Amino acid sequence: MAEVVLDKINKLYENGFHAVKDLSIDVADGEFLVLVGPSGCGKSTALRMVAGLEDISTGNLLIGGRRVNDVDPQGRDIAMVFQSYALYPHMSVADNIAYGLKLRKMPKDEMNRRIQRAADMLELTPLLDRKPKQLSGGQRQRVAMGRSIVREPQVFLMDEPLSNLDAKLRVQMRAEISAVVRSLNTTTLYVTHDQTEAMTMGDRMAVLKAGVLNQLGTPTECYDTPNNIFVAQFVGSPPMNLVLADIKEGVNGLELHVGGSTLEIPSSTLDERPTLKGYAGKQVALGVRSEDMEDASIAKVPDERRVKGKVTLTEALGSEIIVHFTFPGQKVVTEDTKLLEKEGGGDELHVQQDEGVKWVASFAPRSRVRMGDEVEIAVDVERVHYFDPETSLAIRN
Amino acid sequence: MSTQTTPFQLDPDKPGIDAPVGGGPQDTIKAERMPFGRWMRLVGWRHVVAVIFVIWALFPVFYVITLAFSGGNTLTAACPPDRQGLAALGCIFPSKISLDNFTTLLNSDQYPFAIWFRNTLAIAFINAFAALFMGAAAAFAFSRLRFAGRRLGLLLLMLVQMFPGVLALTAIYALMTQIQRVFPAFGINTLWGLSLVYLGGALGVNTFLMKGYFDTIPVDIDESARIDGAGHARIFFGLIMRLAMPILIVVFFVSFQSTFNELPIAQVVLPDQANTTLAVGLRGLVANPLIQQWGLMAAGGVMAAVPMFIVFLLTQRSLVTGMTAGAVKG
Repeated sequence: MAEVVLDKINKLYENGFHAVKDLSIDVADGEFLVLVGPSGCGKSTALRMVAGLEDISTGNLLIGGRRVNDVDPQGRDIAMVFQSYALYPHMSVADNIAYGLKLRKMPKDEMNRRIQRAADMLELTPLLDRKPKQLSGGQRQRVAMGRSIVREPQVFLMDEPLSNLDAKLRVQMRAEISAVVRSLNTTTLYVTHDQTEAMTMGDRMAVLKAGVLNQLGTPTECYDTPNNIFVAQFVGSPPMNLVLADIKEGVNGLELHVGGSTLEIPSSTLDERPTLKGYAGKQVALGVRSEDMEDASIAKVPDERRVKGKVTLTEALGSEIIVHFTFPGQKVVTEDTKLLEKEGGGDELHVQQDEGVKWVASFAPRSRVRMGDEVEIAVDVERVHYFDPETSLAIRN
Repeated sequence: MSTQTTPFQLDPDKPGIDAPVGGGPQDTIKAERMPFGRWMRLVGWRHVVAVIFVIWALFPVFYVITLAFSGGNTLTAACPPDRQGLAALGCIFPSKISLDNFTTLLNSDQYPFAIWFRNTLAIAFINAFAALFMGAAAAFAFSRLRFAGRRLGLLLLMLVQMFPGVLALTAIYALMTQIQRVFPAFGINTLWGLSLVYLGGALGVNTFLMKGYFDTIPVDIDESARIDGAGHARIFFGLIMRLAMPILIVVFFVSFQSTFNELPIAQVVLPDQANTTLAVGLRGLVANPLIQQWGLMAAGGVMAAVPMFIVFLLTQRSLVTGMTAGAVKG
């Protein structure tokens, strides 16, 4: 049984920096859990605490039901793949893979059997006599994985193993790692800052920010029902579009007033979220994903489901057209949005009320919009997200 | 996934990137020769400068060798004063070869060359290995471990290096004479005493050199070994030392060479000509202005250079890698 339980784990450094705050995650046996978040959110620290390379300040860590806070890394029956692969440069591939086994004084035939099996699984057999400097990035990565596999541990720990690879190789290795790990059915904790990796590889995702767990759920859950603005914008590419909307009483019920346009709030939404009624006369942060918008000339919808905007850029990808447009509206500015803008490389430090909101929509390929057009965008109001602008939390009930 | 598609494949059976394409005898174009003026301007002058400097550097060496083999015992034995100007350069090639200086020195009772040689070799090797080990341990701690006073320690180490050991000559003398009373085996006029003094100053440069190199070895390797089950000693000796071989060789060489050639401190601690180092002994040959035996000294110098030469030959290739690697971080 190799479930991993993090029970209120904290990491407080001597200089006062609180890297991980009360992290509690139950990882089931055989589960592939991805720890994801922006740089500096504490995910690597959390992983290293599970590995035993960092001390746990407070909290309990259990591996396979056993409390291992004070157990050395070699006694925890774990194997780790590092971002830089950490291969021993002066040893051949075969020796690299066998290192841990030799230290544990494993009998030679058992050792060879395991090495052969790992080499077959990872297609390393022709490379066994090479030194690491004679290998490409992808090959080195597979050697690092091979080294972990032969140990047959209870838990695999992976610290951003794909970050050093180029984009194409990354896509390929993603699938390979998933396949290998699932065939071995070993519990895996995987750290990454790339939300695409998290979405495609994980059984569940743990989204962290500044040491705090923001959401723990399946990729679909994190995508469709984000807990707060941070998770909403972090998961999904392009990020979710946000705007501040006023909720007013209209003719047919509550309406959203967004920069000159009016959007209806369907009654089904109000039934699911009765607290939304309490926001009448106030503002709410509205979140719309790019695929929930369409060219209004293609998707014929009534007026109450349209927003008017001006196109600033179109990117034709063949399968879709990414349309960047602006419309007058109030930007949602929270700590989270500022953080994500900084991560994304944006440098808009000032917010002007009249600058308008920049959104990104995904149109069908047959749309005819061009740059500079005034366009009407159909919004799927059944699928929009509502957040409290003060607390950033999702309004879900 | 097929491994044949990766571009970095260094298959020894397949030609590399710079292998000639489309083999067989084809017309190879012959590059035009550069006109002499241009060649001289771009490349030739470097050769001229290099030759000048090589002559400048090697002339004293050749002079000493010629003197040693010339059989004369005066400074001008190799080059009599009646040869002026450029004719003096011809002194490099000796007119007669004689091994008199060598035999005189080796058979001399007053000047026990063999003992000096043995002493110097012993001290140099002991010092080199001990400095290596101590420096590596200190460098490992400074590089890998975090402890209170680490920064201060590094700073102090750097500051202390700025003061040459020669400054402490009188202090060393006083110290050694005191130790002589308590611990005669380590006091003045003993080899162990001299070793101790050298080792006292060994940590400075060596630690810095090695720390810089250790910093370039990623900590991930340590951690990976820890997870694999390696203990501290295995990580230090089996991994880090193996990976740091280039800088270890540099430090060995530097320590060996500086100990071998060291004069002032050796003179203070081992003043007795009967039991001293090569440097002090050879100096003693020309110390008395009335009886300066340059010929013997030259012969001694040539013989003393042999171990250095051998050590250098053995470590030559690693020295280049090691020195540049230690200098540039990361």
